[in-house]
Amino acid sequence: MPRWGMVIDLDRCTGCAACEVACKSENNIPTVSAEQADMGRALSWMKVETELEGEFPETRLLFFPRPCLHCDNPPCIKVCPVRATYIDEEGIVGQIYARCIGCRYCANACPYTVKYFNWYDPEWSESERQHLNPDVSVRPKGVIEKCTFCHHRLQKAREDAAAEGRELREEDYQPACAEICPAGAITFGDLDNPNHRVHELKEDPRAFRVMEDLGTEPKVYYLRPRE
Amino acid sequence: MSPTRREFLGTLGAAGAVIALRGTQGVYWATEEDDRGWAPGIESRHKSACLICPARCGIEGRIVDGRLVRIQGSTLHPMSRGGVCPHGVAGVQMLYHPERLAGPLIRTGDRGAGEWREASGDEALGMVVDRLQSLRTAGRSDALAVLAGYCAGTMNDLWNQFLTAFGSPNYVSDASEDGSEAVMSLMHGISRRPSYDLERSELVVSFGAPLFESWWSPLQAYVAYGGVSDGEFGRPRLVQVDTRFSRTASQAQEWVGIRPGTHAVLALGLAYVLIRDELYDADFVAKHVSGFENYTDEQGRVREGYRSVVMRGYRTEEVSAITGVPVERITSLARALAEAQPATVVCGNDVTLSPQGLLAGMAVHSLNVLLGNINRPGGILFGEDPPLLPLVEPTLDETARAGSARTPAAGEGHPFGAGNQALRFAEAVAAGDEGDVDTLFVYFANPLSSSSRPAVWERALEKVPFIVSFSPFLDETTRYADLILPDLTAYERWQDAPAPSSYPYMAWGLARPVVEPHAGGTSTGEAILSVAQRLGGSLAQSLPYESIEALLQERARGLFGARRGMTFGNEFERRHLRQMEERGWWLPEHSDFDSFWSELVDRGGWTDLFHDNTDPAGISSRGDGRIALFPERLVAALEAEGRGRRPYVTIIDEEVAPEGYPLRLIPYRVSKLDSGSLALERWLAEQPTIFPDVQWVPWVEVNPETSHELGLGDGTMVWVVSERGRYRARLKVFPGTARENVCAPYGLRHPNGEVANPLRLLDGSGDPLTGLPAWFTTFVRLERA
Repeated sequence: MPRWGMVIDLDRCTGCAACEVACKSENNIPTVSAEQADMGRALSWMKVETELEGEFPETRLLFFPRPCLHCDNPPCIKVCPVRATYIDEEGIVGQIYARCIGCRYCANACPYTVKYFNWYDPEWSESERQHLNPDVSVRPKGVIEKCTFCHHRLQKAREDAAAEGRELREEDYQPACAEICPAGAITFGDLDNPNHRVHELKEDPRAFRVMEDLGTEPKVYYLRPRE
Repeated sequence: MSPTRREFLGTLGAAGAVIALRGTQGVYWATEEDDRGWAPGIESRHKSACLICPARCGIEGRIVDGRLVRIQGSTLHPMSRGGVCPHGVAGVQMLYHPERLAGPLIRTGDRGAGEWREASGDEALGMVVDRLQSLRTAGRSDALAVLAGYCAGTMNDLWNQFLTAFGSPNYVSDASEDGSEAVMSLMHGISRRPSYDLERSELVVSFGAPLFESWWSPLQAYVAYGGVSDGEFGRPRLVQVDTRFSRTASQAQEWVGIRPGTHAVLALGLAYVLIRDELYDADFVAKHVSGFENYTDEQGRVREGYRSVVMRGYRTEEVSAITGVPVERITSLARALAEAQPATVVCGNDVTLSPQGLLAGMAVHSLNVLLGNINRPGGILFGEDPPLLPLVEPTLDETARAGSARTPAAGEGHPFGAGNQALRFAEAVAAGDEGDVDTLFVYFANPLSSSSRPAVWERALEKVPFIVSFSPFLDETTRYADLILPDLTAYERWQDAPAPSSYPYMAWGLARPVVEPHAGGTSTGEAILSVAQRLGGSLAQSLPYESIEALLQERARGLFGARRGMTFGNEFERRHLRQMEERGWWLPEHSDFDSFWSELVDRGGWTDLFHDNTDPAGISSRGDGRIALFPERLVAALEAEGRGRRPYVTIIDEEVAPEGYPLRLIPYRVSKLDSGSLALERWLAEQPTIFPDVQWVPWVEVNPETSHELGLGDGTMVWVVSERGRYRARLKVFPGTARENVCAPYGLRHPNGEVANPLRLLDGSGDPLTGLPAWFTTFVRLERA
């Protein structure tokens, strides 16, 4: 049984945000108005956060792409009263929109703030509907949404592999962010499979996980920038 | 009365039956009236090229039921290798933008009043043809002008061919320039921008080049920086010399903060250490460089050479005092440059967009010369154009010959460059008589938004009786047009996509329609061909192509016959080709042109990864075959000026901030999109920059202490005011900005459409040698808005 995870090399990230926009395009993430964005209501399953240190001219800036960390011990699923958010047997933390009652307990329980609430119905003009990805449902007002490691792609990749009568390969299933990164900073695969690059990378001396002391066991690892 | 249980169940049953019926109807008996959007879900993928910025990356479109739902990177493209930047991904929002024009519009009310009537393509083209025909009949063919933004490859050739055959010298470029072409032309005798072999470089020292932001190909920089090479090379170390803590600076292994306008002094300070410690490539300099030692000029006078100029004027302590860079860092950077084999020094806008930009650019580039990093793997080299067949020889009739020979409306330009050509054109038109320029075609340009002098442009446009815009959006300049012939987007038309100059090898991408046109409109290329056919005569003979596709196919015969290169291929194929060609081999893969063309279209382009690093012509094309550190023509021009200027002798003009304007304005491009197109794609408006909390609204960056002193906190709306004008932006407190500076992004607008253009504040100075504007000499103050 695979255990899907991701390794993000902060040394390679240039902060270009291709991952962010690719995610929005793949997962039909709507934009909110400028005023709503100011109130922090923009949705971004993958978000390039920045960490700034120091004063001019000794300033340092770190880009920190942040998807859902897909914890093995996710705090969000424990507080959901309707089991709208769940972890599947392969470690992907998903969200069932039709079940979600919009209580936002999970958003508050998540220490990584990766869960987004739809305060409004998504606004897609007639014309913009054309570019919606038919593999991903559009969420209504009043539900929580989050990064799914593009699990609709896993389903498809499995079917394709089965149709060709072979095992699923590493490159068959890649989320949109890992696929697009021009600097090759995002690696995705089965953490337990020694043939997948993430298996080795997560053991790199530079590897760490965010807020590990909380015991959430995130499956997204980061590689520290080289000095 | 409440319903009984039986009644309730009965109702439910009936309703249930209705639901079941309607449900099955959609699946099994879909009728024409059924508009619930059932679709067969047929999916395909096509390779193409992104035409949003000059980088021209390879893309792959995912098309479902004729709709483009995703843009991904093409894994076969030699540079992008599956990656693409956020602009490229958001292209679907350009294609399906709700504000795209539905078809040609003809102005009915006053100019700019926004009153239009719809027209057919035929009527609109007829209007253009009539106008042009009457100009030719009156012998005034030079009264036609084309204003074009970044335009490369066949579109550029097409416009020029059209103008030549029509008889007008007025092709006016509104593309941004970095001034490197003038430097190369003077020092190497090669009139083209240099290419950078970043991937094979060990150390890249960038003097203000916005590698990760608005460079020729940010993707090329990402790929090199990420080490996403074909496995042959390591990652280069990146040192960014920059006045502001840019995105590039923040991710470089080292950021050298420097005072504005002193890049050349630092470069020559590095040269001082290289010469003093004998770290430069003496062998290369002796063989390939002139003017290093003292020399005798054409008049027989002994002139001071580079070595003594540098050794006399750029002692490390003095350089440190001027640039603000500590002595140890200068020494260590110089040593690192000498040790890295090879290193590349990249010169950016921050150097050349200054009053002494040309001389500063030469000073920075002289480091590459000293280190011998010219035409070496991992250094700077001069690329070639893909071996395409040229367009047919234009047929010139009497009118064409007479018209082309006239002086261009923009004047003859500057002695060493054509910088700011668009503004010169606008000034000339504004100062001239009405109708001097009768017809203006506006293609990929929007000067009323992007220009530093929109008022001049307004006056100029008033003097032009007939303006045709090809923009698919109703932008500021298009609102002013008399006729709009909206172009199709890159995903609906044929166009070639030659790689930008920065690539160290040839790549010729091909954009092709991956979906049917979403909105009405005509590809501008097709419109030119069609206008030429209708005008007939020599124009029809000069552009005898059935369609753009046919034209591109014809040109690609040159690639087929070149006996080199290949269609885009995977990593194995790329390596194979490189290794074969390095050994002087090439294997034909196609027996006939048709199979070559069809593979080229499928794979998205053609490339030749081999570059001959042994060809001496790759170093200099000057008469003596050497790189001139003191180009005679420039030295003579400077002497004629009588200000005592010489190359590498830097005169730092003491700049005094005018009373009431204490802060220096540092404009920068957020991306290569100059006309505010960023606002078009909503996903990008949510993430325009490095600050996660900056969205939608244009901003300016201010140091925390400055913000405190002014009493203007983070998020305050401010006016940025100079002696020339003002604009509104939101203040962003950022410790990466020096206390005395305000960093102002260029290319943005407010959600209500208000343009936030810092260039409008510029003082208007520039480099008289190249004509390029000075961006960093203007002082401003901030006021609460």
